[in-house]
Amino acid sequence: MFLFNYRYRLKCIFKDRQLMFWTFLFPILLATLFNLAFANITSSDNFIKVNVAVVQNEALDQNPAFTQAITGADDLFVVQNTTRAEADALLQDNQIDGIITFDPDLNMVVNQSGLNQTIIRGFLDDYVQSNATIVTVVTENPGSLENGILNGISSRSEYLTAVSASQSAPDPIVNYFYALIAMTCLYGGFLGVKEVVAIQADLSAVGARINLAPTNKLTVFISSMLAATSVQMLELMILLTFISGVLGISFGDQFGYIALTCLLGSLTGVTFGACLAAVIKKGEGIKIGILIASTMTMSFLAGMMSTDIKYLVMTKVPILGYLNPANLITDSFYALYYYNTHTQFFTDILLLCGFTLLFSTITYFVLRRQKYASL
Amino acid sequence: MLINVKNLVKRYGDLIALDHFNLEVQEGEILGLLGPNGSGKTTAINCILSLLKYDKGTIELYDQPMTPDAYDIKRNIGVVMQNVAIFDELTVYENIDYFCGLYISDKHTRKKLVAEAIAFVGLGDFKKFSPKKLSGGLLRRLNIACGIAHKPKLIILDEPTVAVDPQSRNNILEGIMELNRQGATIIYTTHYMEEVEQICSRIAIMDKGKIIAMGTNEELKQMIKSGEHINLELLNPEHLELSEITALPHIISAELTDHQLVVKSGRGKNTLIAILDYLKGRNITIGKIYSEPPTLNDVFLEITGKALRD
Ligand SMILES: Nc1ncnc2c1ncn2[C@@H]1O[C@H](COP(=O)(O)OP(=O)(O)OP(=O)(O)O)[C@@H](O)[C@H]1O
Ligand SMILES: [Mg+2]
Repeated sequence: MFLFNYRYRLKCIFKDRQLMFWTFLFPILLATLFNLAFANITSSDNFIKVNVAVVQNEALDQNPAFTQAITGADDLFVVQNTTRAEADALLQDNQIDGIITFDPDLNMVVNQSGLNQTIIRGFLDDYVQSNATIVTVVTENPGSLENGILNGISSRSEYLTAVSASQSAPDPIVNYFYALIAMTCLYGGFLGVKEVVAIQADLSAVGARINLAPTNKLTVFISSMLAATSVQMLELMILLTFISGVLGISFGDQFGYIALTCLLGSLTGVTFGACLAAVIKKGEGIKIGILIASTMTMSFLAGMMSTDIKYLVMTKVPILGYLNPANLITDSFYALYYYNTHTQFFTDILLLCGFTLLFSTITYFVLRRQKYASL
Repeated sequence: MLINVKNLVKRYGDLIALDHFNLEVQEGEILGLLGPNGSGKTTAINCILSLLKYDKGTIELYDQPMTPDAYDIKRNIGVVMQNVAIFDELTVYENIDYFCGLYISDKHTRKKLVAEAIAFVGLGDFKKFSPKKLSGGLLRRLNIACGIAHKPKLIILDEPTVAVDPQSRNNILEGIMELNRQGATIIYTTHYMEEVEQICSRIAIMDKGKIIAMGTNEELKQMIKSGEHINLELLNPEHLELSEITALPHIISAELTDHQLVVKSGRGKNTLIAILDYLKGRNITIGKIYSEPPTLNDVFLEITGKALRD
């Protein structure tokens, strides 16, 4: 029964042209468009590096681990050791993205917000020990950052011994592709809606037929969801291959982790759609509408249209970042790409598992009702 | 008893769709459930199948309470729903195979059953067709095949012949009788009285969520006063006095339109002779004469005061 249904569901999904367009062709088209749009902005040898000045003082000398860490991250940072005055002047001239100083606490001085500042923050974030705090000073317009960055840093107490950047050089363009992949994962929601509609008697005529059969509905449902996730994974693998192979965008070298993120992302997407379809008692059009609107909003907040948005969310309302599956997916890619540590990565993965579980549970409780009030 | 429904009440909000509905179905019969649109036929079927929640009453199939996970009971049931229930993405063959597969897991058995179902509804030339390319009538036939491919012992058909042309409709009705001869019990829902008259061994007439009359075709027609409809073509109807016709014994009503006189008679003897005598006395020349037996519509009309089909 399980396999029988699985095979037929695969057939149904692959033959649904509209569905295949949105979940498969559309992301590939969008990736191609992104690539065309960015072709002028960056060439491959023009990867952005983050320029920082580390203020030379006694406190720094007492933290050789830090010096080691930041020099070890030499394909991420261009480090200059300067005096505070020199550093201020460099920052003023926009020669550097930020100043790091031990005072004796770890201080981060920036004069604007942006991707490079996020990278510095992220780096310090991972470096910070449980009892240490980072003081961020914004020189020019302090209002632009408010306390967000501070809260973000001091509330997280990751304990990391060895921090060094991964092999690859960061490329801000990659972020757009991360967000695109996150969107594609969540587009699994279309498949989730399709599968639930197909087995609910009050949502479709075929659903009524399935409910009449002497088969366990939960078995049919799980097999259907598995079919949806399989298709989704296949589509994502093709998308990844396309982005890295054809468009030449590098994702670093941790394929297993990337696939894991895609799997969890797909599961989140598929179960999200299923949950939506089960809970919202309106037509299929409305369900799809809500699905598109929410997926787009999440992708937007995760930085698909502009990386600054992601940064803003991260600093102003960090909680929103954790509640946004799209952001969790981009974040885990981000963590894989920029840092060698997997703490942030596994936090994101765990949260994605949580979402999958939540959506599945809700769907289960709706589906479990075996009789319908109205058809 | 195959089906035993007692005092079934089903409400949709304020609307009472089933109002103390009672039904008993014996093994081997073809039961017709006849009723106008909105009388509650589909609702009754869906309750019996445990798809719909109901407010009151008991439903037993094969002397066991029917529940959504009564798989042993469900295995024996085949349903052809009023709404066409098929997957647009699958071909004709795949659709039948999928729905049959929900009942029959053995591949070889299934292959044989699917082939038989395709032959039964005459879709042999369309096996590889996408349902989107089928006409409305062919789609209905596919819908039937999907419901009965697994050779169920109890077959419930909810208006299966809507939009099917008369030729195919007859084939389907013949097929249903054949299934019955092979041992299947049939519940056949429709608002076409001709269909139930043609195939059903027992007929239940429904109105407003209740069964208002039940019996064989003949029994139902015996229940009512009206006998036959006598139609006479009059060449010189000017001399006719309608009130004098209705004054004759056993006449219920008489109506004259153009040259056509329609007389509804009750159950009595020599009614036609009395009419002919009267017309002769009035020197009225008669063209064609024919008489029709009462229909189920008359039965419905007499019990509810309205026509089965408006
Ligand atoms: N889902 C629903 N919500 C509210 N009312 C409903 C619903 N389904 C049916 N009804 C109402 O219940 C009554 C019985 O409907 P039902 O479909 O059972 O009739 P039917 O005899 O099958 O009619 P038809 O010949 O048109 O198929 C009707 O008045 C109908 O409007
Ligand atoms: Mg109906």
